[in-house]
Amino acid sequence: MTSTLEHAAHTSAPEGGGLARRQNFLTAMIGGVVFAWLGWFLAHHFLDSSSRNFSDLVTTSLTIGWIFGFWLGIGALNGPGRWLIGADHTRADDLYYAGENQGRARYWKYCTDHKVVGVQYIVMTAVLLGAGGILAMAIRTELIVPGNHFVNQQVYNGFVAVHGMLMILALIVAVAGPWANFVVPIMCGARDMAFPRLNALSLWTLVGAAGLLLSVLAVGSLTMGWVVLAPIADQAGVGMDFFAMSIIVFTVSTTVAGVNTICTVMTMRTKGMTLARLPIFVWASVIAAALGLYAFPYFSLVEAQTLLDRNFNTSFFVAGGGGTGWLQANLFWLMGHPEVYVILLPAVGALFEIASVMSRKPVFSYRTAIAGMTGLAGLSILVWAHHMFTTGWAPTLGGPFMLTTELISIPTGLFFLVIIGTMWRGNVWMKLPTIWLFGFIFNFIIAGITGIYLSDIPIDNQLHGTMFVTAHFHYVFVGSVLFGAIAALAFWYPKVTGRFLDETMGRISFWLAFIGVQVTFLAMFVSGLRGMPRRYSSYSLIFEHTNFITTIGAYMIMAGMLVLLGAVVRSWSHGEPAGPNPWHANSLEWLVPTPPPLENFDVLPVITEDPYNYREELVRS
Amino acid sequence: MERSKAFGTALASILLGGGALALAGYALASATPHQGALMCQATTTGNCTLTISSFPDSLAGEHGKSGGAHPDWVSYSNDNLVAPANTTVTMTINQYDSGGALNNKAFFSRVWGTNGGTATISTPNAAGTSYTTATVSKVDGTNVGHTFTLRGIPGNGTPIFVSVPLPADPATNSVTVGDATYSSPVKVTFSFKTGTPGVYEWNCEFPCGGSREGQFGYAMSAYGYMSGTLTVK
Amino acid sequence: MAEMKNKENLKGMFATWVILTVVGVAIGIWGPARLMPRSMSDNMHLTILTMVVFTVAAAPVAAGVYAVTLHALRHWVHKGDNVPAPAAEQTRENATLTASWLIASTVLTVFLLIWGLGALAVDNGSAGRNPLVVDVTGQQWLWTFSYPGSNVQSPTLVLPEGRTVDFHITALDVTHGFWIANMGVQVDANVGTTTQIHTTPTALGQFDIRCTQFCGLNHAFMVTTGDVVTKAQFNSWLASQSQKA
Repeated sequence: MTSTLEHAAHTSAPEGGGLARRQNFLTAMIGGVVFAWLGWFLAHHFLDSSSRNFSDLVTTSLTIGWIFGFWLGIGALNGPGRWLIGADHTRADDLYYAGENQGRARYWKYCTDHKVVGVQYIVMTAVLLGAGGILAMAIRTELIVPGNHFVNQQVYNGFVAVHGMLMILALIVAVAGPWANFVVPIMCGARDMAFPRLNALSLWTLVGAAGLLLSVLAVGSLTMGWVVLAPIADQAGVGMDFFAMSIIVFTVSTTVAGVNTICTVMTMRTKGMTLARLPIFVWASVIAAALGLYAFPYFSLVEAQTLLDRNFNTSFFVAGGGGTGWLQANLFWLMGHPEVYVILLPAVGALFEIASVMSRKPVFSYRTAIAGMTGLAGLSILVWAHHMFTTGWAPTLGGPFMLTTELISIPTGLFFLVIIGTMWRGNVWMKLPTIWLFGFIFNFIIAGITGIYLSDIPIDNQLHGTMFVTAHFHYVFVGSVLFGAIAALAFWYPKVTGRFLDETMGRISFWLAFIGVQVTFLAMFVSGLRGMPRRYSSYSLIFEHTNFITTIGAYMIMAGMLVLLGAVVRSWSHGEPAGPNPWHANSLEWLVPTPPPLENFDVLPVITEDPYNYREELVRS
Repeated sequence: MERSKAFGTALASILLGGGALALAGYALASATPHQGALMCQATTTGNCTLTISSFPDSLAGEHGKSGGAHPDWVSYSNDNLVAPANTTVTMTINQYDSGGALNNKAFFSRVWGTNGGTATISTPNAAGTSYTTATVSKVDGTNVGHTFTLRGIPGNGTPIFVSVPLPADPATNSVTVGDATYSSPVKVTFSFKTGTPGVYEWNCEFPCGGSREGQFGYAMSAYGYMSGTLTVK
Repeated sequence: MAEMKNKENLKGMFATWVILTVVGVAIGIWGPARLMPRSMSDNMHLTILTMVVFTVAAAPVAAGVYAVTLHALRHWVHKGDNVPAPAAEQTRENATLTASWLIASTVLTVFLLIWGLGALAVDNGSAGRNPLVVDVTGQQWLWTFSYPGSNVQSPTLVLPEGRTVDFHITALDVTHGFWIANMGVQVDANVGTTTQIHTTPTALGQFDIRCTQFCGLNHAFMVTTGDVVTKAQFNSWLASQSQKA
């Protein structure tokens, strides 16, 4: 007797709408380019070319055309369009759009299956990290010796800005994108996300935004850091318009994804899956999503205001017209600080899971973990002006912001308590995920402590704007978040592919990256302490040794990442086969087959306990 | 995968990836505009001369006949200057552009850091037929075309700071300069001494470059127009 | 037997913690002054001292985490190729530990906060009765200084030792960052407004002023020098400069 699923499969033949069903990445690119040209043409034709805003208006029109055309081309507007005209999707359509029977082709399409979206996010993360990493190598190559021998200052400054933004985008999606999508619905006992079409929309919108951001380099780049402070943002060419639009578009992607995650977890848990029985990673994903929903609209707002200033001569940030650059800085950091915790929390959540499974013990103090993450998210809303201690904006607010910033170290410290408590007297299984977890612990201590230095205003007066700050946040983003993202990848890779990520290549990659991080960023701390400011295309001879060492370390990290890429690609087809539950864990994603079937469960499970009871039977299974 | 195969794949990844990156880097470095070097011409021992021009557009300098990507942007004729160490450099700038008021008149209308603290300015009459010459330590800050302001990074070579205002060109005749036509230039001559080798940066401090505030966008902020380097070897 | 073994093991962890703490404290005491620029002001002395205090306070925390981690790597790693059995202790909570951790981290944070607020108050103290006022102008890509009392302009910053200097800082085009690396003072130069910072130079010699807020093409070259000289030298310098103006 065939299951309902299989029965539906046999009767669903692609009917009608031939074009709609052939839409994929290629048609999206074509749509984007065609409508971008249309936007450019209309603006070019109808606007006054002597106006000082002309090139900005034409560019903004082009970018709006791009994203609309991209959405049209990928089929994002099909669902709402059909609903509007009364030809709503049938069950057969839904299964088609979920990628049923389409094999590999579905990864190129607007596919609503959360598992496909998860894999697409892995690819996007790799693309963004790769592009950002190439720029990082260019930056470090320029800085290997003083003087501008590799590229000139203008090109270098553009690299610095675009590297920053690409990496920020990459890290926002690095853990949440693949795993909040692939794993969280299954962990909840759901068949898919609450809004499957929105899920595909969030991924493809990210691709559209990435297209705009990558184009920045081709159209004259940026002349300021990724924070695009006013008033210097005004001096940039049309690259700034591309940048601003890419952020506005990206905010659509994260908003949609955040809403989806939260609704899924709140409403689609299976019977018996109370909030207290959810794996801790689900909590981390929800808290991060909620924080992102609060924070990212500020980013969209500030970039929209920048566009208005550039296109329509408003004066939000122009002092001569009554505005102030300080407004831009405040709005930006209102987003910018919570955003780093949106980046951190999913990685920490994944590491909690890994610590538990690989120590064969429950997560230590599940409640403290939740309290820590919630406290961190809540406090993070109140600390933003610590990025502005030296702007001269509000000296009297220095004390209060110092207070809130230093208080953040308390929930952050709780993360260490949970991880250490979980591993305490555990039976630690030293596989790839565990190794990257240990690397995270080592690096995150340095990241956290150096942050505390910077939270102290007298110290910040000395170290703000120096390479000390750069080294601090690279310990956070590279040493901690990236290590957590790779641990998560190694952990859930067998669920996606049915094979282990190669242990030996993974270890080579780890040691290159781990030693590389210490060499690169410890030397960078010294550069900063000795007085080297950041975003400098050239530097005084007194900094030449530390810069040389930093560049060598950076090359090591890149070597490690290349090996990791090689491992991911090679293991996909040649890795050691893994069963459906290779880590002998207890959360729902490990109890479904590998790869999980189209709607995850034949029969939705009923939950009676949390996933942290390790029993002998599990070992034998 | 067995260990040897794993090591082999790892090595291959590093070599292939690293090779691709190196190739991309090489292509990038080649494609990046680097202006050709203008060497200071040696005269007597310990002396050399350097002559450059400042133009009201980009048609006569290093951007080529058509003026490059931005033919209407003001430009200096050369951006990559080279001078020997421990030498007195006598610099002449032919200033072809019109002008206006400096934004930091008190400072930039003065001559800084030159030998004697002065510069010799030869101003043409309207027809370009005769020149009046004067040696001054400052100019009228309301009618300046550009400045030549040179500075270094402390710690890289002997400290040098030179700033010379270049008055606006009052002539209205026509002379041919390369592929372009301008009026007879104002000639500004001054000397300064180089010390130990290092790289110094110079730029114009008269902001005339678009953008709503500060006028430091466009030509002022782009490599190869209103700024350059002096490499002391 | 197993429990005795555990207690001995913990002694090893404790010893590692002590050793690593000593290393951290040594770095804290030796590091900042050696690595940071020569202190030439009262602000800088306090900043370096604060770095020492913070590092010494952080040392036992970092050492503790590292000691446990090293201990885990030595004693708790499962040996063998088989799947590890569930851990002997399946502890989910330990109220005493959690409470102690929370209290300890709060106490440490409050201590650092009180120190920081105190240092901040000292730095923000009044500039005194008769500070030397220096106007600082930042523009792409140069710092220029003027001494309004004497109508003097200068591309380098000359200061008398021992007299409090009050900087009034503005910018003409974009935001720049005014930073005297040897004196621990930094504040942005903004268009359309004036920011202020003050300090008292306490040592003679040369110092660097670097722009710390990205300001475009030649941001890396917006570096200039300054000199702290004796009061007599300063007065004669000022007099000679104002004759040239």
